[in-house]
Amino acid sequence: MKRQAKKVLSFVPSGVYADVRVIEREAEGIATKDGVVEAAESSSSHGYGVRILKDGVWGFAGSNDFSNDGYERTVKRALEIAESSVPYATVKTVLAPAKKVIASYKTEVGKDPFSISLEDKLELLLEADKKQRVSPKIVISQTSYHAHKEKKVFASTEGSLIDQEIIWCGAGIEASASMGNDFQNRSYPNSHGGQFQTRGWELVREMNLPGNAQRVGEEAVALLTAEQCPSGEFDLILDSNQLALQVHESAGHPTELDRALGYEASYAGTSFMTPDKLGKLAYGSKIVNITADATLPGGLGTFGYDDEGVSAQRVFLVKNGVFVDYLTSRETVEELRRTNPGYAPNSNGAMRASSWSHIPLIRMTNVNLEPHFAEGSAGQAWSLDSLINDTGNGIFMSTNKSWSIDDRRLNFQFGTEIAWEIKNGKRGRMFKNPTYQGMTPEFWNSCDAICGKDEWTIWGTPNCGKGQPSQVMYAGHGTSPARFRKVKVGVIKKW
Amino acid sequence: MMDEQKLKKIAQKTLALTNADEAEVVLFVANRGLTRFANSQIHQNVSLEDLGLSVRVAFGKRIGVASGNSFQGVVLQNVVNRAEAIARLQKEDPHFRGLPEARKLPKIKSVVIQAAPQERAQNVSAVIKKAKEKKIIASGAYDSSVTEVAVANSKGVWAYHAAGASDLSTILIGENSTGFGSQLVKNPADMRADDVADKALAKVISGQNPKDIEPGEYDVVLESQAVNEMMSFFAWLGPNSRLYYEQASPFSGKLGEKVLGENITIIDSPLDESGFPMPFDFEGVPKQKTEIIKQGKLVNLTYDSYHAGRFNAKNTGHALPAPNTSGPIPLHLAFEPGTKSLEEMIKGVKRGLLVTRLWYVRFLNPRSLSITGMTRDGTFLIENGEIVHGVRNLRFNQSIPEALNNVVEIGRDLESVGSFETELGTNRMPALHIKNWNFTSGTQF
Repeated sequence: MKRQAKKVLSFVPSGVYADVRVIEREAEGIATKDGVVEAAESSSSHGYGVRILKDGVWGFAGSNDFSNDGYERTVKRALEIAESSVPYATVKTVLAPAKKVIASYKTEVGKDPFSISLEDKLELLLEADKKQRVSPKIVISQTSYHAHKEKKVFASTEGSLIDQEIIWCGAGIEASASMGNDFQNRSYPNSHGGQFQTRGWELVREMNLPGNAQRVGEEAVALLTAEQCPSGEFDLILDSNQLALQVHESAGHPTELDRALGYEASYAGTSFMTPDKLGKLAYGSKIVNITADATLPGGLGTFGYDDEGVSAQRVFLVKNGVFVDYLTSRETVEELRRTNPGYAPNSNGAMRASSWSHIPLIRMTNVNLEPHFAEGSAGQAWSLDSLINDTGNGIFMSTNKSWSIDDRRLNFQFGTEIAWEIKNGKRGRMFKNPTYQGMTPEFWNSCDAICGKDEWTIWGTPNCGKGQPSQVMYAGHGTSPARFRKVKVGVIKKW
Repeated sequence: MMDEQKLKKIAQKTLALTNADEAEVVLFVANRGLTRFANSQIHQNVSLEDLGLSVRVAFGKRIGVASGNSFQGVVLQNVVNRAEAIARLQKEDPHFRGLPEARKLPKIKSVVIQAAPQERAQNVSAVIKKAKEKKIIASGAYDSSVTEVAVANSKGVWAYHAAGASDLSTILIGENSTGFGSQLVKNPADMRADDVADKALAKVISGQNPKDIEPGEYDVVLESQAVNEMMSFFAWLGPNSRLYYEQASPFSGKLGEKVLGENITIIDSPLDESGFPMPFDFEGVPKQKTEIIKQGKLVNLTYDSYHAGRFNAKNTGHALPAPNTSGPIPLHLAFEPGTKSLEEMIKGVKRGLLVTRLWYVRFLNPRSLSITGMTRDGTFLIENGEIVHGVRNLRFNQSIPEALNNVVEIGRDLESVGSFETELGTNRMPALHIKNWNFTSGTQF
């Protein structure tokens, strides 16, 4: 692959910047439903994408033709595309400096998921599928598993040459119960396919899907007769799996610098966290610290180097409640420094493309709500139980069901699969159809307690969409349960 | 472009490589060019040649699927080997009744033309120029592609279709308002960038200095783009036979019953040449016009071969690429149009809102087909049949069947609209005047 990358660059004329990514990807997926294996699939993809910056304008072309003619034609196409845009360019793109890197990186996994037999995978999933069916009211029992292995080489005309191997996998289960017009879901360990990390088959084993299946089925059935979640202002504790998506939507996306600079205006939207607010905006309360950490072991957004050859980094996006940084790229850093000259001169390494055929964009790495250590009771970090106990009366919500946020990332509304009343410091009645709604800065400023490291989980989001053509990317979010005061709950009157 | 004969040879070669009882190969070739612009300049210009093949094999009722992205012999063999290996280790699927038999396919005219990079840049430049004249920032994309799809199976199915699509869309950004315009055409020569810009400019200018409006129930006129964003969710859960029989659809158990207003007739119209026709589904089964809702009654569900066999129904040609865990979904929805233009529909509203687009629409409750989302890029207050001023965007929580029971007027003009939920197809949507649309909160812009 290194040889192929170098060969591609050999067709690039001198005097222009170019980089190439050569990628070999394997993926496998299994889905079971009601005891039947509905999907067992293996896919592979091999190709390369060339990015050329000529006269301050980008051109990009991708191909899977690995002949010399193919390399030459692809480079020529990327050049032609750049040249066709030059007459219409009003601002020239300049890249922030980056170190020349020659390196290798490999995800540390225990058991390569691709080395586990299909029989073993099916056995585990079908057992978990069966154990969810605890009642005739369970109308659907489902399981799913996915694994991904990517080998990629990055090479640039600046002399960088990097090879990486990234492996991730994950799985989950979901039971659906129905009675009359009511239909309720419960999933484990998370909704939208479960939990995903840059780890091996050991992650799937540790989840103990069969051991949790009965509870999942029972909770789905119990939701049918649970009370409707009340409406009003409540103190709200969000479980870590729901907070992961809250962080993703209301902290991760708005701190993508390409959005903030308007480059996603036509599709995914922009951001209320504009450059004039950098270092000033009271994004959250003083206990809110949000990091972007591509070095976090096991995180789904963990890698060695981004798709511009910049090394993985850990940066604070929000520090002690103040918005202090963005997820950046070489191009956007340079642009930001025109209005914010004091900003750091280098990219913090957030550029990734979903495949060889797509251009890299700024994507979330692992965007985390940092855990707290000594703010809980008696100088100890909060546990979920101690936080519930401290809350007195409120609502505890778990596991995302619906999510939506406006195109500047302000007005959001989330629904979860399940909630429980908190009464007199204890978890009480189960509620169904819980929803909450708010505005991003007000919401994060109402955060007054975050649980400690023992409750902290790095959740994986394998399906984040952005860009045109649409790119689906994988990111991670470390979160522990947290409390928010006086949140608008139960905004839906009719179900 | 590869052409039909080359793809047929590749399909035959692939099918000859397997000893499975039944086998199917789906081939896909795409040339895609996309020019994106933001802050009134082109910032991304890409070209992509891609191809893929997916092989589904069955040993009895044990099925395996594998895919790859090259048509070289060694890759074909590798993909077949992987599909066979999976199938041999698979459990039996008792509901699998075999792959479809060959049937005669409808003939449709294809337009297979892609806009060149210079042509895309010229159109984009025209939008930017118009916006700059009004001191407005332009963003958007011009996406132009040519796609070939072919399906073959061991029972003699051979189906091939090539088509082009060119889609220019823009969001223009003023000081405190935005406006959206778009056009989707088969032939890039029909693209009218000035019209796209004018439509968006009218929105951004008339939407200046938007005012807050109290959330609540309003009459709305949803433009065709907004209707399409809503109907993408209807397509997923409404007529899908899989979800119908899983009790997950709002219409479960209601086939033959009135489920929507009597003024609503919805068809799946895959052969309509005024849209983007497709003669067959992803199993090579011929597509046909299917009435789904007739004067408010649910008259047909959508099926692929698997669900038609499982539920003893006729296959309607709605298969998606295997393995499909979503169920058979219509990809070419169209309303029976009404008689009024958008302007005439606005005149019929005493007090309500004109909505250009919906944004970030997601299910709230699949069983009631309730969705939530925001308005975007042009929301206006209508009073006594006139647009009064722009309003800040609102969040809605709304049941789709309830909305389609509250339709006052259906627009006469059907527009071809694609969205990210329906990348595999294109709907033909009118504007709708709907009463009692439920807005629950607002935002700051």
